[in-house]
Amino acid sequence: MAETLLELSRFKMHFHTDKGVVKAVDGVDITVDEGEIVGLVGESGCGKSVTSLSVMGLVPQPPGKVEGGSIKLSGRDLTRLKRKEWQRVRGNEVAMIFQEPMTSLNPVFTLGNQMVEAIRQHKEINKKEARQLARETLQEVGISRDGILDEYPHQLSGGMRQRVMIAMAMVCRPKLLIADEPTTALDVTIQAQILDLMRRLNRETNTAILMITHDLGVVAEMCDRIIVMYAGQVVEETDARRLFRNPQHPYTIGLLKSIPQLDRRLERLYSIPGNVPNPRQMPSGCRFVPRCEHALDICREKEPPLFSLEDGHTSRCWLNAEEKEEADRDTTGNTAPSS
Amino acid sequence: MTQPETLLQVRNLKKYFPIRGGIFGKKVGDIKAVDNVSFTVNKGETLGIVGESGCGKSTTGRSILRLEEPTAGEVEFEDSLLNELNGEEMRRMRRKLQMVFQDPFASLNPRKTAGAIIEEPLTVHGIGEARERKEKVKELLQVVGLDAYHAERYPHQFSGGQRQRIGIARALAVRPKLVVADEPVSALDVSVQSQVLNLLEDLQEKFGLTYLFIAHDLSVVRHISDRVGVMYLGRMVELAERDTLYDNPLHPYTQALLSAVPVPNPDAERERIILTGDVPSPSDPPAGCAFHTRCPYVMDICREKRPEFQDQGDGHFVACHLMDE
Repeated sequence: MAETLLELSRFKMHFHTDKGVVKAVDGVDITVDEGEIVGLVGESGCGKSVTSLSVMGLVPQPPGKVEGGSIKLSGRDLTRLKRKEWQRVRGNEVAMIFQEPMTSLNPVFTLGNQMVEAIRQHKEINKKEARQLARETLQEVGISRDGILDEYPHQLSGGMRQRVMIAMAMVCRPKLLIADEPTTALDVTIQAQILDLMRRLNRETNTAILMITHDLGVVAEMCDRIIVMYAGQVVEETDARRLFRNPQHPYTIGLLKSIPQLDRRLERLYSIPGNVPNPRQMPSGCRFVPRCEHALDICREKEPPLFSLEDGHTSRCWLNAEEKEEADRDTTGNTAPSS
Repeated sequence: MTQPETLLQVRNLKKYFPIRGGIFGKKVGDIKAVDNVSFTVNKGETLGIVGESGCGKSTTGRSILRLEEPTAGEVEFEDSLLNELNGEEMRRMRRKLQMVFQDPFASLNPRKTAGAIIEEPLTVHGIGEARERKEKVKELLQVVGLDAYHAERYPHQFSGGQRQRIGIARALAVRPKLVVADEPVSALDVSVQSQVLNLLEDLQEKFGLTYLFIAHDLSVVRHISDRVGVMYLGRMVELAERDTLYDNPLHPYTQALLSAVPVPNPDAERERIILTGDVPSPSDPPAGCAFHTRCPYVMDICREKRPEFQDQGDGHFVACHLMDE
């Protein structure tokens, strides 16, 4: 059994704005084991990006405020770190790559310049050694052309830039790589190259990856375990196979039914009625209730907890509670006569 | 089955953008955004065009409507040659040809209400009296699944999906025959995307519309199209009936493209073709077949001669030298 690397428990990140409090992340539990690839999926505004930025300590506070819970990386609580201490964590232990690599690279410096600077922030080596290390890391991500270190970001294509970002993130061999929509801005053939590269790095260096995306196809191909978020909360979590075969939460079910398929054509797509709730006025009870086809009375009154089903499958839905009770009744009913 | 009626015919369409350089801004080359593309769109069907960024799919759509002036080639719509119309004739013709844009944030005027945005094409084409137009706007809002009271609101008060509905209502206001939809669902979340795709299908049935649907998402295109064309570096490389193209792709690029799409099913076993390298620059496309630099089956002839876009039977067009083997 691999050890737990990252553990968010009851983590809350709220934003205090003039118009009210936005509960962007509201009591989220997430664990990532060493060497694991975990997918965090959800639609825009569900809190997946704020969750990942919180792990990196990149949410500006204020307006953001940690309202409770903890983020533990290898046992240490990150929410209590001082600014100086953060600098040792970021890059060394956890690194991040973003959707649009161009905005993460400085357009007026050469790649060599930027990479050497980043490396020397973390390692006490001279420029020449740092340059050598940069060249080696670039080779690992499949860029081996001469003179690459003297080129500027605009001279590279989108896919190449994302490779450079991955190289920079991997240079200090972090234990955890957070990838926020790493292939969303790329074309499919380039996306396939980058996903292949990330899988290879995960295998070879045992770096755990927290993959944040809205693309269910990408998570299906990449991830061991998948966490679905809706309106600032985790609504379902299970291993990749189970999620696609046997989803439990009505939101996950709706989401899976609404994607067009490549290998067959459905007559008509399912669509989840309504829209995501306004983050300043969350519905009472279950947050999905205004859009749910199976809503019960209890759903409008009481917020459902995360119910544990079998094999670590969890779902935040009262329907699962009912099923569980029924199942419990069935088993007691069955055992009673035989005893 | 009756012979499908041709609504739009595109013949040898070319759109080159000049590259200017030097202190006098002299022309030093061309970006061949669309390079000799031909296809037809039948009445009442949806023709999907897919390809990666920079393949010229959007420019093709825009050149048909003459939002970009084509460099060469003919576009025949019903009985008129669009490329020969003068400004005024083209303006009147646009009543029959409308467009839905990708970005619902950039394509709606933020200073106009939804009602005014939808009414504008009616005013431009001089349709109806002021009061009739207001009625029409309300009707259109309902057709696309919004409420009449939404007419008073401004674009920023709507969500992305609702904005795209306004864009669709605007396109439908003048009862067009052909709608060119350029990445209409790319900016939307999956659950909203399915709502808009269903709406487009409903409207097609209701008003007998013909769609030219341009997108990069292969699953979406499979869902909505009757026939699909694949573009690469300004050229059409393959075009066929939807199921034929997806189940039996003949061009090596189409094969690689389809195999690269991540499928939301962890049990799917697929053979993946990972293409090496990037798409070459359209300012200096490779000689011969544009795909030869990345093609796993490249032959000598591919480097020299551009393959013809030929019918391989049953309207399955492919531009590849392997077909002659």
